[in-house]
Amino acid sequence: MDFLAEGFRRAWGLLVAGDSEVYGIALLTLKVAVVATAVSCALGLPLGYFLATRRFWGRRAALTVVNTALAFPTVVVGLLLYGLLSRRGPLGGLGWLYTWQAIVVGDVLLALPIAAALSAAAIQGVDSRIRRTAETLGAGSWRTAWTVAREARYALAAVITAAFGQVVAEIGAAMIVGGNIRGSTRTLTTAVALYTAQGDFGLALALGLVLLMLALVVNIALQMLQGRGHA
Amino acid sequence: MLELRGVRHRYEGRVVLDLEQFTVPRTGTVAVVGHNGSGKSTLLRLLALLEAPTEGQVLLNGTVVPRRPPAALRRRVTLVEQRPILFRGTVLENLEYGLQVRDIGRTAATGIIGDVVGRLGLQPLLSRRRHELSDGEVQRVAVARALVLRTDVLLLDEPASSADRAAAGALYRALSAERAARPFAVCIASHQLEDAYRWADDIRALADGRLSPVTPENLFRVELPPGDGVKSVRVGNIDLVVMTDRAGPAVVAVPPTDIFVSREPLSSSARNVFKGRVTGLAIEHRGAGVHVRADVGGVELVAAVTADATRDLALTPGGPVVFSFKATAVQVF
Repeated sequence: MDFLAEGFRRAWGLLVAGDSEVYGIALLTLKVAVVATAVSCALGLPLGYFLATRRFWGRRAALTVVNTALAFPTVVVGLLLYGLLSRRGPLGGLGWLYTWQAIVVGDVLLALPIAAALSAAAIQGVDSRIRRTAETLGAGSWRTAWTVAREARYALAAVITAAFGQVVAEIGAAMIVGGNIRGSTRTLTTAVALYTAQGDFGLALALGLVLLMLALVVNIALQMLQGRGHA
Repeated sequence: MLELRGVRHRYEGRVVLDLEQFTVPRTGTVAVVGHNGSGKSTLLRLLALLEAPTEGQVLLNGTVVPRRPPAALRRRVTLVEQRPILFRGTVLENLEYGLQVRDIGRTAATGIIGDVVGRLGLQPLLSRRRHELSDGEVQRVAVARALVLRTDVLLLDEPASSADRAAAGALYRALSAERAARPFAVCIASHQLEDAYRWADDIRALADGRLSPVTPENLFRVELPPGDGVKSVRVGNIDLVVMTDRAGPAVVAVPPTDIFVSREPLSSSARNVFKGRVTGLAIEHRGAGVHVRADVGGVELVAAVTADATRDLALTPGGPVVFSFKATAVQVF
């Protein structure tokens, strides 16, 4: 118990003192998570809408692929991305390996299926009359999509929350393609793993608490956004 | 003018609509009547350009509509569904939706909405949200939301199915007032015959996705003479005996189920007895019932009987038949 209490005391001290390493890692994690969530949702939500509303040959297969990708192991994604981004890989010229951009790409690959599959389910849950009504009132494709999305806003906010949860807690791909480089690509999850292995339980715990607070703040913000609307 | 030409529409391989031609004229009100499942709603969705027919063409003012019509084309037709749905937001925001889509300025939009809201008595509802409205109110708002768009064609699927008598009357009066101010085409699908027939200029019947030569309700436009009680009205070459206190133009209907079918005239209380020839037998209700069509003095009537009765009476196309019904069975709209 002393060990745990000591860990909490040290974590609290680091947070209160505004330790630059802790907050630097937290800021990088936030940056990576926000960019990856934004990119995966910007791609995944329209893809989900498309899969939910359009009838085309291979739609069922496409939905199956997206749903299967939900369970894609993060280390496998990291491994494949490592192959692509390494100097001898097809995307080696970008020079992104061991940069925060590489972590973003890995996170996007992992969050994209979540955004697409869950938003497709959310859009399918909207009464089909909403889409028909928007169309018969003269709305074009974008306005119709926006109208349908507004009806599913609670579910879509949950999709964004889920995507953020995936990227902020992701460790496998971030470790492989980010390299866990201090001051450069060290995120909260990779740092927690490293400092725990090194025996610096207090620092690891402090970073873990920051990670929890980050997730909490983002979820509260999304819930407040949801609560602002009326039926 | 909106037209379907050579349309055959399928759902999951089953033909649900089969129309050689169906036209909604540039002005005027067309009522489409028929039982549930007869294809009325499908017909309206095709006319609304929301679905493309599996086979055949939709033409708007003589021009073939592409399978994925652009929004500019769709904006000339609008449909109010049988169970309309409102978007989230207030009634006013719903009324503004289509006008915003068309980039109508706020001042103009306010004026247009004000006119329609006044006609339909929606002023007290403007700030309410969908969950604060009854089904009838939702239906009125949906009609208003379509009316403010001033489209060339307005399609209404059972527009008064959730309204009480007074509200339905107000709705149709508002439609008439709107059409008096600006001519446009209206197509109403309904099984509430009284309203549809009272307000429509032309009545078409659908049965199993096809246009039926006679409406199942034996409808006729007549001029009722003045006076109370039993009176005789001319329909084609026959005189129908009806009981009504109304006078002037009206629509009369003889429910097929109220017609007695026999080979010889019956001695009964029926005031309407017509000899004729069978022109067609249509099997209904999965073989249990038969619609017997007969030409009685140049007027075609349809009677609903059981399959057993058809066999017992040995009814065959071209054979003799007598239709009998009471004066009180004739409905006057």
